[in-house]
Amino acid sequence: MKRLLHQATAALLALSSASFALAQTGGVGRTSTGNNNQSRSNVSNQFRLPPTAIEQFTLKNGLRVVFNRDNSIPVVSVAVYYNTGSRNEKQGRTGFAHLFEHMMFQGSENVPKAGHFQYISNAGGDMNGNTTTERTAYFETMPANQLPLALWLESDRMRSLAVTKDNLDNQRKAVQEEKRMRYDNQPYINGLLRINEMIFKNFANAHSTIGSMEDLDAASVQDVQEFFRIYYAPNNAVLVLSGDFEPKEARALVSKYFETIPRQPDPPAPDVAEPADVATKQDTYNDRFAQLPAFILGWKIPPRRTPDFYALSLAGDLLFEGESSRLYQKMVKGDESVVAIQGFFGERRGPSSMYIFALPKPGKDPAQVRQTVLNEIKRLATEGPTVEEMEKLRNNLINDAVRGRQSSLFRAQQIAEFALYDGDPNLFNTELDRYLAVTAEQIKQAAKRFLDTDNYATLNIVPAGAGGRASGPQSTQQPQPGAPPPTVPDKTKPAEPTKPATPVQPAQPTGQPQQPTDTPKPQQSGTSRP
Amino acid sequence: MLQTTTKLILCAAFILSGALSLETFAQTNAQQGMKQTEDFRKQAPPPLAARPLNIPKPYETTLPNGLQVVIVEDLRLPLVSYRLALRAGDVNDPADTPGLMDMVTSLLNEGTARRSSKQIADEVARLGATLTAGANADYSTVAASALSMYGNEVLDLLADVVLNPTFPEDEVKLAQQNALQGLKQQRSQPAFLASERMAQVLFGQHPYSVVSATPESIGAMSHERLLAFHRSMFVPNNAVLIVVGDVRRDEVLRRVNDLFGKWQKGQTNARQFPAPPARTERALYIVDRPGSAQSNIVIANPAINRTSSDYFPMLVMNVVLGANASSRLFMNLREQKGYTYGAYSELDARGLAGSFRETAEVRTPVTGPSLKEFFYELGRLRDEVVSDKEMRDAKSFLTGVFPLQIETQEGLINRLVQIKMYNLPADYLQTYRDRINAITAADVQRVARQYVQPDKAAIVIVGDAAAIMEQVKPYAQTIEVYDISGKRKETPTATAMVTTGTATTATGAAATNLVGTWAIEISGPGGQSMPATLTINQENGKLTGKVSGQFGEANLSNVNVNGNSFDSVLTLNISGQTVNGRVAGSLASDKLEGTINIDIPNVAPLPFKGSRSK
Repeated sequence: MKRLLHQATAALLALSSASFALAQTGGVGRTSTGNNNQSRSNVSNQFRLPPTAIEQFTLKNGLRVVFNRDNSIPVVSVAVYYNTGSRNEKQGRTGFAHLFEHMMFQGSENVPKAGHFQYISNAGGDMNGNTTTERTAYFETMPANQLPLALWLESDRMRSLAVTKDNLDNQRKAVQEEKRMRYDNQPYINGLLRINEMIFKNFANAHSTIGSMEDLDAASVQDVQEFFRIYYAPNNAVLVLSGDFEPKEARALVSKYFETIPRQPDPPAPDVAEPADVATKQDTYNDRFAQLPAFILGWKIPPRRTPDFYALSLAGDLLFEGESSRLYQKMVKGDESVVAIQGFFGERRGPSSMYIFALPKPGKDPAQVRQTVLNEIKRLATEGPTVEEMEKLRNNLINDAVRGRQSSLFRAQQIAEFALYDGDPNLFNTELDRYLAVTAEQIKQAAKRFLDTDNYATLNIVPAGAGGRASGPQSTQQPQPGAPPPTVPDKTKPAEPTKPATPVQPAQPTGQPQQPTDTPKPQQSGTSRP
Repeated sequence: MLQTTTKLILCAAFILSGALSLETFAQTNAQQGMKQTEDFRKQAPPPLAARPLNIPKPYETTLPNGLQVVIVEDLRLPLVSYRLALRAGDVNDPADTPGLMDMVTSLLNEGTARRSSKQIADEVARLGATLTAGANADYSTVAASALSMYGNEVLDLLADVVLNPTFPEDEVKLAQQNALQGLKQQRSQPAFLASERMAQVLFGQHPYSVVSATPESIGAMSHERLLAFHRSMFVPNNAVLIVVGDVRRDEVLRRVNDLFGKWQKGQTNARQFPAPPARTERALYIVDRPGSAQSNIVIANPAINRTSSDYFPMLVMNVVLGANASSRLFMNLREQKGYTYGAYSELDARGLAGSFRETAEVRTPVTGPSLKEFFYELGRLRDEVVSDKEMRDAKSFLTGVFPLQIETQEGLINRLVQIKMYNLPADYLQTYRDRINAITAADVQRVARQYVQPDKAAIVIVGDAAAIMEQVKPYAQTIEVYDISGKRKETPTATAMVTTGTATTATGAAATNLVGTWAIEISGPGGQSMPATLTINQENGKLTGKVSGQFGEANLSNVNVNGNSFDSVLTLNISGQTVNGRVAGSLASDKLEGTINIDIPNVAPLPFKGSRSK
């Protein structure tokens, strides 16, 4: 996750600044001398990440709590992470984890609908939630003195969520709208759902987090209540406070609001085991919104926090992270064969994935573009990274880690994942060393064993408008001609906005001057602003 | 642009967010019959005692060449951030070359006397640093940041791109191509079309009326032109360098002197601009975007500039009316009426002038009703004193969000840049929360009556002119219609179409040609072909119609004919529920072609083709 977010953020920055073909020829431009490089490396070799205070304890009901105190600014972030994601879903019950995330904003015993975000907004806070394969996350950032409000809100929905027929029906519709706006109405997105089905054989890994609309329609209130009871129990969650608070006072508040919520039986452990081979090597997706053909390559790679994952994550950085990356330099700048080339990771506790998405320029042959990508992977697997690239990796790893730490929300989210997945929130302080310890040889070997092989999936995305037949992801039911879909939209309410979910990202500097007013932007992230 | 968007959506495919779903607040309430609840849970808890916010007092000095330097020693983390801010923005573009400042700033890091574009990019990447530049209407900035152990290297890069950019010919050419592409792309975006039209309406001959370059101006941005404009605008006596981070003041100052001390002073003559026009009536400007499912509404009045003494009461008023999702506009148009995902207001207070605006993207059929609600809320803001609770919520929002915004070095620098660029008081940050808290409901009503002037408002709507014209007529004294290229159009009432109730009278041969029964083939979502029959009837001058097939029968109403094209509202009954959609098409040599749009999730537009039934 950490790497994914960093990559997404850095890529956004890199992509948004205009920078094109080489101004001058000549290999790697350097203005400083070799000696300087040497001394720089020494500087970064000696770097020690300033540790942040981490204290962990467990309530009687099994809720794991982590305090990360930093009182430099009177702000506190609260993160509640539930150990349920699409990996926990069975066939016929897909989309539940995400549907639940919606339900969590529908009110609880003492908080009316809309109350959650209105309380937070009126306090000047910010909040959101999101769902991945691994977990469902809720978080808010508040002025420090509003900590009780955040704990009250989070505890009320943990103990008494309003799982009613009305809410369920409404949120089913909301999810269907979300799917329509964010998947079915967008180019290339449904292709991404398909590539996971091609990489993974185990249903727990292969199916999409948005799930099947048919499954959601089939869910009864009892199903959903039972899901809530088991997966949203305190013993299946972690609570992280990061920022400015008095530990004693905070501990009393946490006990007051959370300790009486009853423990439940532990949920069954999901089976996410996978064979090494990808499920399907080749497929074509007819995309009715795509203007240009594109392709996605997908690899199955070892789980997060394994030596190979660290090495592959850095191999990915070298291949597709930012404007100095190999693929960007080769294909966006060099042969100008692509409009965009991007890569990212699906970081999971079980078998994980790496993806490369390429949008060839009009007139360029996608097959040739794909070959260029594969050649670059082979070159990395054969020659390994250069000394300069290792220095770049090192500095970027340190910079990302340090910069992210400015934000209480970033700290809370990262700590929550380490606490939930690994039982060790202090990994937030030490994980950087694991990445920094990776050698050039390890990157080369990992690229050779996992990437430069025949064991990957290729999905060609073809514009359906040009006479092709439109297809949907296999897991999603398509409306049959002549038979309108079984659900009817609620005409009295608008559809969801298309703004993508952007989990918190380390604050990044920008050269774009801010709006010439300091009127705060709306704090509720589900709203779009012209 | 395309790349950025794609990246966002790709990531979004894997991380779903659901806080977004505010669909159904207004309906039922939470369940009853829970077990016994502790009393403390029944009410939201009050806040704890406020915790101190120690805003660092910046050290400030000025170099002999006039460059102001602001330093904040922030030792929390081994990081440093630099921002060079220049009191020259888009407003300084020559009248015949809009977009010049944007182009200059975007090319700063594409080559200097010492480094090529690639060398700059490589060095920034190798240091794990960032280096970006940009301009807004009033000012321009160049931002750099890095681990503090690379603070000197990245400051050297920043100085190089600020002082010695060369605007290499090949980079200029690429940037021009890219900018031309961007001009095309922005015309597909309703938000851009709305801002372009509103800027022209509000600002007249003032340069704030210009929001974009033109193909001609981009063509004129030669290497020489960029170089000369850079030389005239980038002068130290018009600039501020802000440093926040893990630095020692003396060391940074020495370094800044070395790098920027020889920067030559220049002219900073303030230009005089024509005043924005005074408004005398409520006027509507429609940017016609046929087929739009939504209307993008912006309502605005001229308001204050950034240094006005009314700034703080206007901030509070803005929160009461529409700055966030518990403000009045959101509660009314979204929560109660369900017209839109969100309705907001915005205070746009710039250096030389400003506006106060209200915005929403609403479903086409409720465009008129949305205007009604907007004007209801604007009237209420003027006529009624804001309640104590709303005042409390608005102030708590503004003061609460303030520390969140300065949590990071970048957040603090953004605030310091505004203070310097708009010459705000030195204690602006320290007194910000007190000044908010001092505003009374009477202050808010006073500024509402002064600046919120519904009778003189400018309304811009980007949407389907034919579909909204009848709805919006009652809300404006005058209406002008523009096409998406920005050209004035004749109003649709002047064409061969008169609306009468639910159906439309069409005159002339085109309508007659459409009347009849058409055998059509609809391409289903899977590519399958579905036979159907489309019928258009004319009775007493009114057009109605229907489509029938395997799926049943759907009625067509609001049939509009314009030349050889038609457009209609489709109503389909599915198991007792009404589903709406649109059917539009055109006739060429007795072949009918068009698209059926159904407002159902997962259903893409369905194309159809057909010919007259024998």
